[in-house]
Amino acid sequence: MPVSEPTTERRWRTFADVVAFALGTNVWISIVILPAIYVGGLHGMRILSSMLPFAVLMLGLARRSEGILLGLFPAAVLLPVSLQPQLASQHVYGEVRFGLVAAGVIAYLFGVSFFTTFHEPPAPRSVRQLSSAQQGTASRWQRRERVYWGLTALSIIFPAALIAWVDYDGAIADFLGKMYPGRVALMTTALTAGAIGLWLGVFHYAFLGVLRPHRTGDRDLVSALTKARAEAKSGKPRARFYAAVATALAAMAALVLMRHLS
Amino acid sequence: MRRYFFEVLAVALIGGSLFFFKETLDYLARRDYVAALLVMVIGVAVISVGKEMARLALVQRD
Repeated sequence: MPVSEPTTERRWRTFADVVAFALGTNVWISIVILPAIYVGGLHGMRILSSMLPFAVLMLGLARRSEGILLGLFPAAVLLPVSLQPQLASQHVYGEVRFGLVAAGVIAYLFGVSFFTTFHEPPAPRSVRQLSSAQQGTASRWQRRERVYWGLTALSIIFPAALIAWVDYDGAIADFLGKMYPGRVALMTTALTAGAIGLWLGVFHYAFLGVLRPHRTGDRDLVSALTKARAEAKSGKPRARFYAAVATALAAMAALVLMRHLS
Repeated sequence: MRRYFFEVLAVALIGGSLFFFKETLDYLARRDYVAALLVMVIGVAVISVGKEMARLALVQRD
């Protein structure tokens, strides 16, 4: 059916665009526009900085670029907040409102990352059952899926907990009030940006770092285990066993000697 | 039988090494840095011995 393929594709694209527009506009309004109206910061040149995230969102939709929608747009949302730190202050965000905004941001990120990459596959010309398909999903891929779900949960819990801790812990607010009188909103916003940066670093190095070798079938780990098993076949401890025993005895002797001399 | 012996020994050594690391923290709290370093070296050595015992237990299992 060569005619139905482009139609289905177009329908999905339109659906993805509508989802990204609705959720992105929600993020823009809830993080930039409503707080700006609340603190009276929507006038003059600040209107331009407030409109910038919306322009970036439109650009991302026009180009259908995941880089712009998932990277540049969230960064553009932070620009008006960095120019007016009071937009992200505790007085603007109550705990309930923070929860709602966080849910909106999560919905946007997941909606865009899911729907922009989802494509309806074209109808197959013929269907043939493969023997491997009847064995079900391999346990390795089931493990990997569990890791993905774990990372998804961590991606929600970690940054939300870090930001909530920075913004709503009374001890931190008191400390900032004492150390930086008159600049609490600015310092809180800086700490929030630091929390986001910390999470991105941890996610990139600690979580994705583990997944990368797994993608290639744990080749390094499997070869290391095979080597260790072959070495262990001798049934005798390796030289490092005797070295460790000697080191422990030497350190204990040094400790006793040190105590005796002092 | 030897397998269980090696396994128990490995668990005891690796678990016992935690005692040395706890002692390291105590020495650090008392600002006795040299003693803390020595006890930490003992802890690392004990955990290495435990690791070797675990390898031997693995061979016995095969």
